[in-house]
Amino acid sequence: MLVQEIMTRQVIAIDSDMPIKDVYALMEQRNIRHFPIVKPSSSTGEKTRLVGIVSDRDIRMVGSDHPNAKRSITLKDPVKEIMVYPVLIAHPLDPIEEAAQTLCDNKIGAMPVLDNDELVGIVTGIDFLGALVRMSGVSDAAARLEVEVDNQPDALVKLLNHIAYHNITVLSVMPSRKDNDVTAFALRVNTINPRALAESLRNEHYNVLWPQPKATQP
Amino acid sequence: MTLTSSNAAFIFDPNLSNYQLSETHPFKPLRLELTRELLQEVGLLTPAQELPLRMIQEDLLLQVHSRAFVEMVKRVSYGHEAEDAFLYGLGTSDNPIFMGMHDAILRVCAATHTAVDAVASGSVLRALNAAGGLHHALKDKASGFCVYNDLAIGIHHAVNTYGLRVAYLDIDAHHGDGVQWLFYDNPNVMTISLHESGQYLFPGTGHTYELGKGAGRGLSVNVPLEPFTEDDSFLHCFDTVVPKALEFFQPDVLVLQAGADMHRFDPLADLSLSMAGLLATYERVSALADRFCGGRLVATGGGGYDTFRTVPRAWALLWAVVSRQDVPSVVPVSWREQWQAQSPVPLPETFMDEPWEATPRRAEISSHNHAVAERVLSSLAPIWQELQQHAPS
Repeated sequence: MLVQEIMTRQVIAIDSDMPIKDVYALMEQRNIRHFPIVKPSSSTGEKTRLVGIVSDRDIRMVGSDHPNAKRSITLKDPVKEIMVYPVLIAHPLDPIEEAAQTLCDNKIGAMPVLDNDELVGIVTGIDFLGALVRMSGVSDAAARLEVEVDNQPDALVKLLNHIAYHNITVLSVMPSRKDNDVTAFALRVNTINPRALAESLRNEHYNVLWPQPKATQP
Repeated sequence: MTLTSSNAAFIFDPNLSNYQLSETHPFKPLRLELTRELLQEVGLLTPAQELPLRMIQEDLLLQVHSRAFVEMVKRVSYGHEAEDAFLYGLGTSDNPIFMGMHDAILRVCAATHTAVDAVASGSVLRALNAAGGLHHALKDKASGFCVYNDLAIGIHHAVNTYGLRVAYLDIDAHHGDGVQWLFYDNPNVMTISLHESGQYLFPGTGHTYELGKGAGRGLSVNVPLEPFTEDDSFLHCFDTVVPKALEFFQPDVLVLQAGADMHRFDPLADLSLSMAGLLATYERVSALADRFCGGRLVATGGGGYDTFRTVPRAWALLWAVVSRQDVPSVVPVSWREQWQAQSPVPLPETFMDEPWEATPRRAEISSHNHAVAERVLSSLAPIWQELQQHAPS
C-alpha cells in the first residue's frame, strides 16, 4: 500500500508570517494538529515552497515556563518563529511501511507529502491506524478464524484450498504470531458458521486457536 | 378479526417452513413448529391468538433492497444459472440457492410485515413472528443465512405508512448489522444491538464507535460483549444502556429481534446465558415497551441453532411474556416424547436450565463488559445532549 492511498489530500498550508494565535485558532476550529508552513510565492515569480511544520505541541510551548521554551516569543509573533525545520517529508508513491518507520524512528506525528516540490497531502499517525483497521477487513461481514500453519512453502496454500473447498471466501489474512516452526494466522472468513470449518480443519490436524469446540454440543 | 384478552397475535402460516436453505443447514424453520406445539401443549396458544399472514407485493422488497439484487434472487430461485450470483452473497456456504427461495423468503417478510401492521394499526398491542428476524440481509447482498431483511421491511412500513418512530432492539448473539446499515442515517429509527464482540463472532461489526451518521447520528447503539458472558453481566449491560437510549429516543413502537443463540448451548456463538437470563431479558423488554411505547411491541425470532433443546423453550417463554400470560415451568412429557427421537441431545424437563458451574473468567469478563457499556453511553451522551438542544420544542 502506498502513501497516496492513505494520506489526507485536503491539506491546509499556513503562511509563515501568520501570527501564532491565528494558527492556533485555526487548529482548534478545524480540529487539526499539524500544519505545513509555506513561504508564499512572491511577485518575483518565486514558487510557494515548504519551509517548516508546526504542531499543537509547538504552539503550547509559547509562553510556557518549560526550560526549552523561547521566552521572548508571544502569540502575536509569526509562526515561522516556532516552526520546525527542516521538514521530514513523504512522497505519494512511498510504501506506507517506510513512511510509518520514519514516523516511529523520529517520534513525530505527521509528514507533509510532496510531489515535485508541490504539497499534495499530509500523512499522520491516524491515517496509518485507519489503514490498519481497513486491512484487517472488519467492515465486511465475516467471522474470525485463527489457525497455526507450519512454516513450509505450501502450508498456507493448503489451508486456503481447504477453506475454498467449503465454498467460503477469505476476506483478509494476517499473521498474529510467529514461532520457529509455525505461524498463527488470523483470517476473516465470510461465514456465520466458522465452527463447522474449524472442526473440519481439526480433522485435518490443524491447530485451530479460534473458534474453540463447544462442550455443550454432542 | 377479534383477538383474545391477551391482545397479542402469533403470526402463523404452514408455508413459513419453506425457508429451508438446505437439508443439513443449521438454520431450521422446524423451530417454528417446535415452538408452536410446545406452546399449544402448555396451553399458552389458542387458535384465536393466531393471525394468518397477509402476503405482500414484491415491490415492498424494493423499499430496502436493490432491484438488481431482487432480480438476481428471483433468477436463481427458479433454477436459472447466474455466474455472478456469488457477488450478491448467493450460492455461498451460508446462503445456498434452493428452488422457490424468493417466494419462501417473501413469505417470511410478509409475516413480519403482518405483525408490524397489526401493531401499528392498533388492531393488536403486540405480535410475534417467530419465523422472522433475518437481520443480516443487506441492501444488495444475502448474508449469514438471511436473504431478504424482513425486519427492515417491517420497520420501513411502520415509519413510512404509519409515521411511527421505531426502536429496534437486537438481542441475537450476532450483531444486527443488516438492520443497522439499512437505517444508519434514518432519524426515525434507533437500532440497539447487544451481541458477542465482532472480534470473535460473525459478522465482525457492531463496534462501540458505530453511532449512526447524518440525521441518524447517535441512533445506532452497540454493546459488544465478551465470549462466555453470563446472565448477570448481560443484564447489567442491558440495564446500563437500553433504558437510557429509549428514554432519549422516545419511540412509538419497539421491534425486538429475539435470536436465541446467546444461550450457552448454542453451537454457533460463544455467549453463556441461561434460560433464566433470556426470560429476564424478555421481561425487561416488555416492561420497556410499556414504559415508552404504550405497550406496543413486535417480536421476531432470529438466530438459535440448538434446535430442539433450547430454541423452542426460549421462544415459548418469549410468547408468554409478549402476550402477558403466566410463564410455564414444566416441559410437557407429550412434547418431549414427540420430538426426543429427532433430537441429538436429551430434551429438558423444565423451562429453566439445570444449574452449571460458573465461567472461571467471570470477573474479568464482567469487568470488560461493564467498561464497554459505560463507554457506549459516554460516546452517545454528548450527541444526545446536542440533539436535544436543537430539537424543536
